[in-house]
Amino acid sequence: MNSLRIARAALRARPAALRAPLQRRAYAEAVSDKIKLSLSLPHQSIYKSHDAVQVNIPAESGEMGVLANHVPSIEQLKPGVVEIIEEGGSSKRFFLSGGFAVVQPKSALSINAVEGYPLDDFSPDAVRAQIAEAQKVVNGGGSEQDIAEAKIELEVLESLQAHLK
Amino acid sequence: MTFAWKAAGLTYNRYLAVAARVVRRSLKEEKRIVAERRGQQELRFAKWSNGKQGEIQNLAAANAQAAVESAATGGH
Repeated sequence: MNSLRIARAALRARPAALRAPLQRRAYAEAVSDKIKLSLSLPHQSIYKSHDAVQVNIPAESGEMGVLANHVPSIEQLKPGVVEIIEEGGSSKRFFLSGGFAVVQPKSALSINAVEGYPLDDFSPDAVRAQIAEAQKVVNGGGSEQDIAEAKIELEVLESLQAHLK
Repeated sequence: MTFAWKAAGLTYNRYLAVAARVVRRSLKEEKRIVAERRGQQELRFAKWSNGKQGEIQNLAAANAQAAVESAATGGH
């Protein structure tokens, strides 16, 4: 009796299975091409589930590009530029002070940073002045913590200066 | 892979705070004034034990002291 039920169920299931793929495949390809990007700062949400084709992030392990259907991963970010390439080829760039990028299943990319601004919002003069000051502290005889903090500042500033050129 | 700041006793939180401070100071005038306010922190705390409040300390100062101590003990 069980085998009869199974056979009947299989007969019923098959026609449906044959029909659906022809319609479903086209729709699925069109939707899964994009990443759902959320770029958030503690005080502001720059993007919330925004569609993007590719996102380039400055991970500690190296610059990487995230496309749709990327394997889920967690990456620590070093201070640097995140580039968001949208459909149509236009791209936006933000300099982030550091944080994490999390790729979740179904192409959901979540980037969290403490501070992030478009490159146009920065002043090259302010960057230069800060580099000079930080170098003075690093070469000076301050405490180990002051020197470590100045080295962090230099790392961020040099990355920022390189991107502002 | 140990970071240089970790060896000096700084925590990841402190690292983020320093990087954010630098980014804020590098902005152009109007945005910088708005952003600088986010960097200010005036937080005090006190440890309680046996129902009694301990000495009230400033969080920033206490963290700085903890960083020095953890660097001295080798940092981990």
